[in-house]
Amino acid sequence: MTLLAQVAPTAGGTAEVVVFWVFAVIALGSAIAVISLRNVVHGAVMLVLNFLSIGGLFLTLESAFLSVIQVLVYGGAIMVLFLFVIMLLGVDRDDLLQADLRTRVLAIAGGALLAGAVLFAFVGPYTSEASVCGPDAPAPGPGEVACAGLAEAYDEDDGAGARFLGRSLFTTYTYPFELAALLLTVATIGAVILARRRDLEPEDEDLADLDAAAADDLDGDDLDGASGAAAERHVAGDGPGTTERGG
Amino acid sequence: MEIGYYFILSGLMFCIGLVGVLLRRNAIVLFMCVELMLNAVNLTLAAAARMWAGPDGQVFVFFVIVVAAAEVVVGLAIIVNLYFRRGTLDVDVPQLLRW
Repeated sequence: MTLLAQVAPTAGGTAEVVVFWVFAVIALGSAIAVISLRNVVHGAVMLVLNFLSIGGLFLTLESAFLSVIQVLVYGGAIMVLFLFVIMLLGVDRDDLLQADLRTRVLAIAGGALLAGAVLFAFVGPYTSEASVCGPDAPAPGPGEVACAGLAEAYDEDDGAGARFLGRSLFTTYTYPFELAALLLTVATIGAVILARRRDLEPEDEDLADLDAAAADDLDGDDLDGASGAAAERHVAGDGPGTTERGG
Repeated sequence: MEIGYYFILSGLMFCIGLVGVLLRRNAIVLFMCVELMLNAVNLTLAAAARMWAGPDGQVFVFFVIVVAAAEVVVGLAIIVNLYFRRGTLDVDVPQLLRW
């Protein structure tokens, strides 16, 4: 918590303001980069930058534990999974895959409309002097919203944000917590089932002979219906499949 | 720091993610934009927890991260399977489920 004390010492501290603006600019810039860069790997790296800056913003929000979780789970685990899939499929070159003009105009107009609504809702009542978090802020006027700040809640808990979060998690939210465990188990089982390839065994012998394998597939595979789809899948799936077996 | 700026920032990030989902046609990029939107919501929840000085918002962020992890695992497995079956990641290619 010492780092947190340095970052956000008091209400309206200049350190917090500076850190907020730095991370806010990085977060918005990297978000725009994610949706506009054509190279998928570059987009993924920009997404990592976005996740890290969100972690920094959690720090200024007096949520140090969430900040650590954000960096570990999002910046670490999830993005490694993304990059792993991008590399496995070899789709890093790009995408022809832009929308047509009408969709593009509609999408950007809709996004701008939503952004305008957000600005309209929050500028004013939430950005007044009274909305500065902490005890030093003036009392909120009519239509203004006050921000309590977490300093007092943390003081009762020895100043540790993790204890603050953990106590609530294991008392009030016990059943959602158990459900989350169940969800993770189901997701693991689902991923294992999805990753299994049903046609791995039959074509193991005649790997070198692509034609024979394709003929086999057309004869025996009635799940895919259209023979063209089956052949296409075979061609597409053979390269990576080979490396899988090798490893 | 006024709490409203956090809400505005996360709202703008959500809009950027939404535009990305509508614009891009690559399934993996679509997925990354959804993650962007989830993170924007997380930021809102953490800011609300600070505003009301309660743990609930932080607990919600915790659960959103758990669900996002599960979602990414299953979603990426589905994307890998789709790529092996159809040889493309374009979400506009005629769908198997369309009737």
